[in-house]
Amino acid sequence: MKGNLKNEEQLLKEIVSNYNVEGKIQREKRVWINTDKENLISICKFAKEKGFEHLSSISVTDWIKEGEYEITYHLWSYEKKVLLTIKIRISRKNPSAPSVSSIWDRNAQIHEREMHEMFGVEFKGNDDLAPLFLDDWQGLPPFRKDFDWREYVKKEFYNKDNEREVVYRE
Amino acid sequence: MNNQVLLEPIGKDEYELFFGPAHPGSGNFSVKLKVDGEIVTSARANPGYLHRGFEKLMEYRLPIQNAVLSDRICILESLNWNLIHAEAVDELMGIEIPERAKYIRVILAELSRIQSHIIWFGVFSIGIGFDTGFKMAFGYRDYILDLFEMITGGRVYSAGYICPGGVRRDLPKGAEEKILNVLDKINEMVKLEEMGNPALSARAKGVGVLKLEDAIRLGATGPLLRAAGMRVDVRKEDPYEVYDKLDFDIPVRKEGDAYARYMIGIEEIKQSMKIVKQALKDMPKGEHIAPQFKKPKLNMKIPEGEVYVRNEGGRGEVAIHMVSDGSAEPYRVKIRGPSFLHMISVLEFLLKGVQIADVPAVYWSLNICPADLDR
Amino acid sequence: MKKESSKKKSMKKIIKAIWIFNWFNSCGFCELVPVVGSRWDMERFGMIVVGSPRHADVLFISGYQTLKSIKVAQRIYEQMPDPKVVLALGSCTMTGGMYWDSYNTIKRLDDYLPVTMYIPGCPPRPEAVFEACSKIFQHVKEME
Repeated sequence: MKGNLKNEEQLLKEIVSNYNVEGKIQREKRVWINTDKENLISICKFAKEKGFEHLSSISVTDWIKEGEYEITYHLWSYEKKVLLTIKIRISRKNPSAPSVSSIWDRNAQIHEREMHEMFGVEFKGNDDLAPLFLDDWQGLPPFRKDFDWREYVKKEFYNKDNEREVVYRE
Repeated sequence: MNNQVLLEPIGKDEYELFFGPAHPGSGNFSVKLKVDGEIVTSARANPGYLHRGFEKLMEYRLPIQNAVLSDRICILESLNWNLIHAEAVDELMGIEIPERAKYIRVILAELSRIQSHIIWFGVFSIGIGFDTGFKMAFGYRDYILDLFEMITGGRVYSAGYICPGGVRRDLPKGAEEKILNVLDKINEMVKLEEMGNPALSARAKGVGVLKLEDAIRLGATGPLLRAAGMRVDVRKEDPYEVYDKLDFDIPVRKEGDAYARYMIGIEEIKQSMKIVKQALKDMPKGEHIAPQFKKPKLNMKIPEGEVYVRNEGGRGEVAIHMVSDGSAEPYRVKIRGPSFLHMISVLEFLLKGVQIADVPAVYWSLNICPADLDR
Repeated sequence: MKKESSKKKSMKKIIKAIWIFNWFNSCGFCELVPVVGSRWDMERFGMIVVGSPRHADVLFISGYQTLKSIKVAQRIYEQMPDPKVVLALGSCTMTGGMYWDSYNTIKRLDDYLPVTMYIPGCPPRPEAVFEACSKIFQHVKEME
């Protein structure tokens, strides 16, 4: 790929000089920033003013050994043609984070609704966190690392009396 | 005596209509509509009929097994999803793919895009009531499925043909002439569609208008933005594979209604055919897979790191965020499908104030795939 | 001549023409629609797709079913009048298929609906669907 990273370097310099964050340029068109929960809304507002009007997705990674959830926000700018990713870490017990739906409207609100259902994260400021895919799900939020799907399926769906399946269970 | 019957308005007469999964005008997805007379006042999407939890299923399997699973994220364009998963693993592992493999990947991805747009016309026509369009579309689509069967081995699911490292087998002998013959047939179909049909244009013009500011705010991507006037395409802005060496245009229209989206679909088929012809001409000779994958070892570890790859699918922007912690299976895979935003926020916004008879026309013109919403 | 059971008498009515209910779900959608389309035209055998379960004879379960959609399929099955037939397409209905370790899909269709015939494949080809329909006719003839 071509080595002209001017756009990306300028963007990183602007953000690092305004806020106390660490960042890196992974390759052409990809800039990653690590920050914390308190600065999130102000960095997002800053990014939106700089032209990052498209929120591509919001994702949560469950780092169970460290006891934290990492939330990533991927933003794309149609004029600068650069992808900016903002990462924050929150604790796994009673996870909660401020909602960015005041900045990116319905787009952010729906992504947060899905993350609430799958990981149990409370987004403060999001007024509609009703379940999206599952009806009456009573167990743990399904995508957490401590919910083992293969154990769950063996218990719930496989029949103890069926000889074909008994062999598998052993 | 006065025998007149007076019909007085009783007041707001709202009732709830469930436009559900077994309705002939929808498919695997339901919408709860609140209707007042003939006009819809509000809509709420109700997805989840196809939720299998792909993101976590991929955490239990090796990348070479995930290549087979990734076709099934959306059956309507399975090779495009295969491609983006392979790209994510390639970038994480830092593999250099041979040039010939990149060209073969582009040819298959474009054929899959043509096939997906043909399905779009077929179901859009049947949703509007134009049955001839449906029969024509599915008739011509079978030529492309025969091509897939010859090259990859499967009509709809290619069993992971586009795998991390390249493609599994080289193109068989005689594939190039066959591809060019099929493209001529598709050209015939495009000429028939372009002639314009009065029934279709009467029911599709002016229906479901989505303006540019609303589209960006609601998160729409792909043909919805192009029909609203913005010239944007991930293949030009964030190029992947060999798209930066190929020459093609991006069709744009200003009206933003269902008819504009339909016409953009036809133009995109023509551009895809142009790309396939160029790729066939420019394809170099060489290997079809990277050397470390010729005989893959089962426990190849993925180095630590994370990537975010974006592609242009038939329906919009497709993206995967893959995180690895150094073991052989990926630690977390997040899949972003275009229909996730189109079916929930855009659909609920467009269905306000529409007549019940126009609901299928708006719904099908957004080119949705319930499978990549629910994953 | 052996006396025909009442079940056989009522099943024989099906073999004049099969009307399929439009429940094209999951993966089978992509291979069932060409069966309706112009290449593997099924109307020449008298099979059409109907919109209401009250008119249908056959219910195709064409692939994996999640806990949410199997409830809808059961309600449709109850609304269909006798005689009726359920055909299960694909390997996901037999053993759970590719998604055997998913928390939200069902593993054996037999636990939820009475299946008449299984058609293997992932997804099964359109020719397999035709062969299954012709086997129904044979099954009815051999039934007592």
